[in-house]
Amino acid sequence: MELDPFQADALRELGNIGAAHAATSLSQMLMSPIEMTVPEVQAVDIADMHNYIGNEIAAIVVFQIQGEVADGGYIVVSMPRETIVRLTNQMLGTTDADREINEMDQSAAIEIGNIMISAFLDATAELLEIIMLPSPPALAIDMAHAAFESIIAQMAGDVNDILIFNTELTSEAPPIYGSIYMLPKPELMQQLFTMLEDLMTPLT
Amino acid sequence: MDNNFFGEEKAVILGLGELRVGTCPMGTIGLGSCIALILHDQRQSLGGLAHIMLPESRGNTDRPGKFADTATSALLLEMERLGSTRSAITANVIGGASMFEYSANSLNIGERNTAAVRGLLNDLGVRIAHEETGGKVGRSVYYWPEKKGRLIIKRADGTCTKLL
Repeated sequence: MELDPFQADALRELGNIGAAHAATSLSQMLMSPIEMTVPEVQAVDIADMHNYIGNEIAAIVVFQIQGEVADGGYIVVSMPRETIVRLTNQMLGTTDADREINEMDQSAAIEIGNIMISAFLDATAELLEIIMLPSPPALAIDMAHAAFESIIAQMAGDVNDILIFNTELTSEAPPIYGSIYMLPKPELMQQLFTMLEDLMTPLT
Repeated sequence: MDNNFFGEEKAVILGLGELRVGTCPMGTIGLGSCIALILHDQRQSLGGLAHIMLPESRGNTDRPGKFADTATSALLLEMERLGSTRSAITANVIGGASMFEYSANSLNIGERNTAAVRGLLNDLGVRIAHEETGGKVGRSVYYWPEKKGRLIIKRADGTCTKLL
């Protein structure tokens, strides 16, 4: 899968809008400023995935992209375990940072993922004037690569590369860090490109 | 990104869908629903590892390591080409976890992967020396082909198993 510069640009812009809304919703929830990176879009060979997705323990919240698009692919929020503990503490007003992951952390991870991804998909869908909805979330708190493998197994039966679209969100106080990954299936990609091309065609 | 957490520099890390036969140390990091199939020939100090993603190839042949059926036969074929006899080869099967809670079954393909690999090894007459599959935990595997073969399995919960 090769992206031409127009396609990469269009996707980056789309992601930028989505991620900005996700960052805003996170910022409102935490009542603290959130920084975000410019989204990266790349086609990654499945055999090289381990160079992009690490082995450290993270909370991975996964949503299938549903709605008015073909079986769309997946969207993922990945947060290191320290971030999850901090976010739970922040929401509950507790302070113990040196503890095991518990049920409250799991709920918090899912809830935060839900809020961010709903904002992300809402914003991108609104731009394209279609409906995109997240499926109910699935959660793994485990080696990030192990969780991503299971998602990729659903997508890459017939193809050997995956389009990964990644933005990082950070806050300094509380010190938290998260990434949003969008893994669109080729059919959704095609649909997105067509819509984006239409959008960018000047009115005549 | 530090994928080389076993501190072994010569190691070959096999990504999703890759396979390799040789005498060098090999490993895979972060196995979820995927399976690391290791075939080991003690007599030759030779081994092979495949990082299997799905149970059936359904006619795909470009990446044999990706599917249980093509990976198993490709590993065996290559080892036999390098002088192994079928009866000397034993298998280690690791991985096939179900990573996601609150999920429809579609993300939990680990069980199907495990069943496919077991069935294939049985049909081909390859004995499974060690199996660690299923559960809800990610695993990293490290394997040295020399002599009896050395195997380290490291789990996401921090526990570790060393097999000689």
